[in-house]
Amino acid sequence: MDSSLIPPLTQIGAAWWKLLSSGKLLANLSMSLTTLAIGFCLAAFIGVVLGLLMGRFRAIEHFLDLYVNALMSAPTTAFVPVLILWFGLGMESRIAVVFLFAIFVIIINTMTGVKQVDTVLMEMARSFGAREREIFFKIMLPAALPAIMAGLRLGMGRAVKGMVTAEMLLTLTGIGAMIMQYGSSFATDSLFAVILTILMVALAAMKAVQWIDRRLTGWKAEIAIE
Amino acid sequence: MVQNVHAVQDLQTVEELPRGLQVLNELNVFNNLNQAKLLVEIQSVSKSFHKTVKESTKEIKALADVSLSIHENEFVSIIGPSGCGKTTLLKMIDGLIPYDSGRILIDGRQVTAPGPDRAVVFQAFALLPWRTVLANVEFSLELRRLPKEERTKIARDYLTRVGLADFENHYPHELSGGMQQRAGLARALAVNPAILLMDEPFGAVDAQTRQLLQEELLELWQSQRKTVIFITHSMDEAVYLSDRVVVMTPRPGKVAEILDVPLPRPRVSEEVRRDGKFVDLTNYIWESLKKAMENHHLE
Repeated sequence: MDSSLIPPLTQIGAAWWKLLSSGKLLANLSMSLTTLAIGFCLAAFIGVVLGLLMGRFRAIEHFLDLYVNALMSAPTTAFVPVLILWFGLGMESRIAVVFLFAIFVIIINTMTGVKQVDTVLMEMARSFGAREREIFFKIMLPAALPAIMAGLRLGMGRAVKGMVTAEMLLTLTGIGAMIMQYGSSFATDSLFAVILTILMVALAAMKAVQWIDRRLTGWKAEIAIE
Repeated sequence: MVQNVHAVQDLQTVEELPRGLQVLNELNVFNNLNQAKLLVEIQSVSKSFHKTVKESTKEIKALADVSLSIHENEFVSIIGPSGCGKTTLLKMIDGLIPYDSGRILIDGRQVTAPGPDRAVVFQAFALLPWRTVLANVEFSLELRRLPKEERTKIARDYLTRVGLADFENHYPHELSGGMQQRAGLARALAVNPAILLMDEPFGAVDAQTRQLLQEELLELWQSQRKTVIFITHSMDEAVYLSDRVVVMTPRPGKVAEILDVPLPRPRVSEEVRRDGKFVDLTNYIWESLKKAMENHHLE
């Protein structure tokens, strides 16, 4: 096969080193990661809160369930034009895309986690005189934690996708811009260097969530809800 | 078979009991319990559940007109076929679920919610998997707002009593079923309740462990007297542990019969189980259960 379509690893490595030493990769990467971090943190916070509320209160679940499920399965990219209208072409829009990519899987996992809490444990707490607040913080929240962390891990994966999608579709910035640029100019070695960088970023981000997960839920064997 | 049913049904009064059981009644060393303070009074309590299946709501009568009085420091077992509402009754005594009619009084006060005078040992252990054994025992004390130092001290004390002193830093899933229930027992005892409510506590462990746990429970009870209400469907467990055995009918649960267990204490497992009275009583309870179930089918 033509080496310009799939360049050898040595060539990719050389291109990667060039991009790194010129500072171009790091500058773009830091821009992308800022978007990722803000978007993901917002999604994590709002997603966990909404998920907890939906899992805890029937009325809230009934009210939001349809929207969450619809938005979860809808192609998030379809909302990009709306986001441009709302937030313009700046960083806010890109953050919104990351947010939308990540939030629904976090909501659903959190809600499922809360709803699956063993009723025997809640009964036990009630029997020993726990109030509603204590049941929530001492039983429901810790019991749902493994599912919440699984949701965050999956949400992080989706957030990275959202980040690159936003940079390619919305405004050509960061890592996404580099992909478009090298892709359209057939600079495949640089293109693959950027793609590999994204893979490494995605892996590192997931590992970071996993590390936190293990610290928080070390009492339990690892689980994942897909 | 038919004859047998009649024979059992005719056993209405003490006079008609088999000779062996009559002697037991005369020898009843626990008659003095009648002078002890009444602690739990269950007065014609009924309970129904509503179950919705395919849009039609069905009313299921779980308990019908149950009355029972339990004295202070008495060990009472409630035995009955599955689904007779014995766990429901226990939860109502604890105040976890409301009753439809009748009254449940504890020390003269009507039960409306769980209170510090009662603690439950759960069938499925109900330990928090994210807490160590020590932290699990501390949980009940934490809810009673005890300071941290005191909590730990009390929890350690009870872990030692149930033989788990060396396992305080283990998580529940690292322990066997028997050890988990020992932790459940320690958690309940730690709040020093007047009444210990045990819901088939040894139902989920193997036979040998079960026997060990029964012996340990009796030893603990011997050293620190409490009123115990013990749900079980094992006849020899009920007889071995209790002062009185309450036999319940199938759904809707009613009290079929209340039997005194006149076996002397302390009870040594191997001796008691070979005792003729023990054998007679377990057989009698079996007959009583069978009778209750057959009457139920006739209805």
